[in-house]
Amino acid sequence: MERVAPTSGGPVSGVAARSRPLSSRIREKSSEALLVAPGVVWLGVFFLVPIAFIFVVSLGTKDAAGHVVLTQLGPQNYLQATRPEYVPAFANSLRYAAVTTILSIAIGYPIAYWISRYGGRRKILLLILVMLPFWTSYLIRTYAWMIILRDNGVLNGILGALGLTSEPLILLNTDFSVILGMTYGFLPFAILPLFVSIDRLDANLVGAARDLYASGRGAFLHVTLPLTMPGIIAAALLTFIPSIGDYVTPDLLGGAQTTTAAKLVQVLFTSGRDWPYGSALGFILMLLTLGGTLLALRSLRRETFA
Amino acid sequence: MNERTGEPTTDLERAIARVLVEQRITRRELLRRAAILGPIAALAPILAACAGPGGSAPASAGAPSAAASASAKAVASASAEPTPVPSPEAELNVYNWDAYIGETTIKEFEAKFGIKVHYDKFPDAETMLAKVRSDGKGAGYDICYPTSTEIPSLATDGVIRPLDLGLIPNAKNLGTQWANPGYDPGNQHSMPYMWWTTGFCWDGAKIKTPLDSWEALWDPAYKGKLAMLDDIREVFAVAAFRLNLDPNTKSAADLDKMAALLEEQKPLVRTYTTDDIGVVTGGQAVIAHAWSGDVYQMTSDVPKIKYVIPKEGAVRGSDTMVVLSGAPHPVAANLWIDFNLDAHVSAANTNFIGYMGPNAAAMEFISPAILADPTVNPDTRCSTSSSSS
Amino acid sequence: MTPERNRWLTAFAVAIYAFLFAPIVVLIAFSFNDSRRTFVWRGFTLDWYPKLFANGDLLDALRITLEVAAVAVLASTILGALLGLGLARLRFRGSGATETLLLLPMVTPEIIMGISLLIFFFQLFGAVGSVGQISIAHITFCISYVAVTVRARASGMDPQLEEAARDLGASAFEAFRHVTLPLIAPAVVAGAMIAFALSFDDLVVTSFNAGVGSTTLPIFIYSAIKFGVTPQLNAISTIIVAVVSIALFIGWRLGAFEAEPVRPIDELA
Repeated sequence: MERVAPTSGGPVSGVAARSRPLSSRIREKSSEALLVAPGVVWLGVFFLVPIAFIFVVSLGTKDAAGHVVLTQLGPQNYLQATRPEYVPAFANSLRYAAVTTILSIAIGYPIAYWISRYGGRRKILLLILVMLPFWTSYLIRTYAWMIILRDNGVLNGILGALGLTSEPLILLNTDFSVILGMTYGFLPFAILPLFVSIDRLDANLVGAARDLYASGRGAFLHVTLPLTMPGIIAAALLTFIPSIGDYVTPDLLGGAQTTTAAKLVQVLFTSGRDWPYGSALGFILMLLTLGGTLLALRSLRRETFA
Repeated sequence: MNERTGEPTTDLERAIARVLVEQRITRRELLRRAAILGPIAALAPILAACAGPGGSAPASAGAPSAAASASAKAVASASAEPTPVPSPEAELNVYNWDAYIGETTIKEFEAKFGIKVHYDKFPDAETMLAKVRSDGKGAGYDICYPTSTEIPSLATDGVIRPLDLGLIPNAKNLGTQWANPGYDPGNQHSMPYMWWTTGFCWDGAKIKTPLDSWEALWDPAYKGKLAMLDDIREVFAVAAFRLNLDPNTKSAADLDKMAALLEEQKPLVRTYTTDDIGVVTGGQAVIAHAWSGDVYQMTSDVPKIKYVIPKEGAVRGSDTMVVLSGAPHPVAANLWIDFNLDAHVSAANTNFIGYMGPNAAAMEFISPAILADPTVNPDTRCSTSSSSS
Repeated sequence: MTPERNRWLTAFAVAIYAFLFAPIVVLIAFSFNDSRRTFVWRGFTLDWYPKLFANGDLLDALRITLEVAAVAVLASTILGALLGLGLARLRFRGSGATETLLLLPMVTPEIIMGISLLIFFFQLFGAVGSVGQISIAHITFCISYVAVTVRARASGMDPQLEEAARDLGASAFEAFRHVTLPLIAPAVVAGAMIAFALSFDDLVVTSFNAGVGSTTLPIFIYSAIKFGVTPQLNAISTIIVAVVSIALFIGWRLGAFEAEPVRPIDELA
């Protein structure tokens, strides 16, 4: 949905305000603010305040033993963190996240659609089955992928037995295994919002569109897709953002060439023992991700609803 | 030199080396990084140059099996203030790796002293350090198991408290080279727990010729079949040994040379990982930079696995037991350390974990299979590096 | 859509379910592996299951993990659903800022969130980690995921529906209870499922906020990796999958998941 900037004259704009008296509109507004308030307060206390602490750390320095020193606050870490040497890691992060997001939606949309429209009475069950693998441990699942993908693994065994390959394929420690692992990991995060969005579609609306456009394809492109855009946006958010920050999958399934920005942050905090520098780099990563996301959101929503 | 964070994910010590090499960090930055890898000076005393049988490292008196008698002085130097009637507390909070202790050790301790043990686990060493440092005094734990490299800074920062050596008579069981370690003179703050070496291993079914030099890790024949540990300190040490430089060097020129050598190696490397077991058993690597304890565990899966402490030298690392300064149960904590230094208990720990302990008196109770395995118990004479940095 | 294309879609769905469950099948198979580690198959054994039930630490870790997840899912679902609903409906002066606030926890690298909470709790409360602290941390990072999911469903929902109910005399709560809630319910359930998966699997934030007596399952598992993944860890994952599957099957037989079937859009014409 496009946010509508409130005009200076009237406190409320949008559909809800149309037919109701002013007092009711004000009551309405405060009730909505009431909905948002608990979550905002929670995030304010348990997210913003802690993050403010870390922001102060990011302006500090550290001594030879790795202790954080806060006597001379300044932007030095940020100045040092913006260096061309880090570009490849940031580029890797962006590439993995973009491909993962596209794949997750391209795979997730038909699945969500299938569950919603063909799942019949079993659709909630089918949805839970999508999530079931994710109620086991991430690490154990990833080790299972390693057993499948490794040089003498299940997949190479099958390919070899079928006579399709003579030498084992190099699957593990490559871009392929990283993207496979990330898509596997975030696919449910795409399927769920897509499902709730598709499932909400008013079938009669699409029926009417069928009458208008005559073809199923036209109806899909002009009605179904735009109407499920909020689901697509949510799916994109829930896959893109966590995959930008994911360092575990590239670390376990990746190889010598798959360093990501999140990994850099992690290394600086752990073996680097440089919390100020690590935080500064982390804030830069956050800012880039957030800025890009908000821009993309704005243009997507404008395109869809303007 | 030996952050032993042996799990592949959160440890995430995928070598800063890789970052360094990949990102081509400037020399100054490299030095800066090297400096923040923890107090390098603290590495020196425990960084042992271990030489193979025909090796060139200086021989020393301190083989693990050396007589225990000499270490009695550790007990003699018991704390100046005598502990007032040490009646142990009812509980003990231990913070350690999962399964990094004998199968029955906890139960036996509980039975002997009537102390309830809470055994919490940490996922990697860096997290453990962040936790115990969070309040500067141990976050409510009594005992934790840092690597020896951490001891000087933990002691200086007051995170750990001096041991009550009067409660730890079993310190006399320590082998001579562990009785007065450079990282903690007189074992005032820590007792050694387990030790290992970092060499490399190869799949004997695929490489027939025995290897004995780090040069093998730069052999183009193994391109894409080579794995390095995801641990900046370990990786830089390898480069140092190859170049015959001091692994504890702080010289910018030396670090540059080491980085350049690692950069040269990088195209050959399939992956930097702490899963040194998995890369070999999975077939991704035929030759891998590895921790001795891991290789020992791999032998049942890959019978032809070979491990070597290369002739140029290698790192020996160790974990320790310490009492945290805010320990709510300090008496029980000291008793715990003493208990784990008991010859039988120490041997039981080693027999289950597959790492050698520093306990000379325990040698006769350790399983012959482990004692005979050169991977775990190298018959080489390891010497404490005399590096001055 | 013709039946032919319908079949293709179904085949695609089956393939994707196979993809989702492929590692689970491998994971289960290796829980019967007669080796101290999972990596090489060395024969069939059932030994790991009795060992698992004798492992009090592991069962404690599972119990703590489920307790944390229950609290985190409940609280984050309520807070997140309200937030998502409010954002979907509301166009107010602070909505841009609220949206940004919502995205921020998602874009924050885990280690930064973990360490920030560690510092926060110690500096302000002198706390050094506990099950409660882990739960608060989990609620914090789950809220956004629930809110984004609910918002997707609620945005574009006709606000006049609730308005109509209000005009008919329903109180704000009644209108919410009987009109809005049923409409957003699937998204709330979906959000709760995501929150559960996130909470159940979280390592980094959890380990910085854990304290004495609060080792969770992920911490346990990562710690165990030092000596290789033992089939015991596969066994506990297998049991979780089995228990959930049995519960699902029973629930399904009892009709717990009866959903209103929706006709395929393409078959309308």
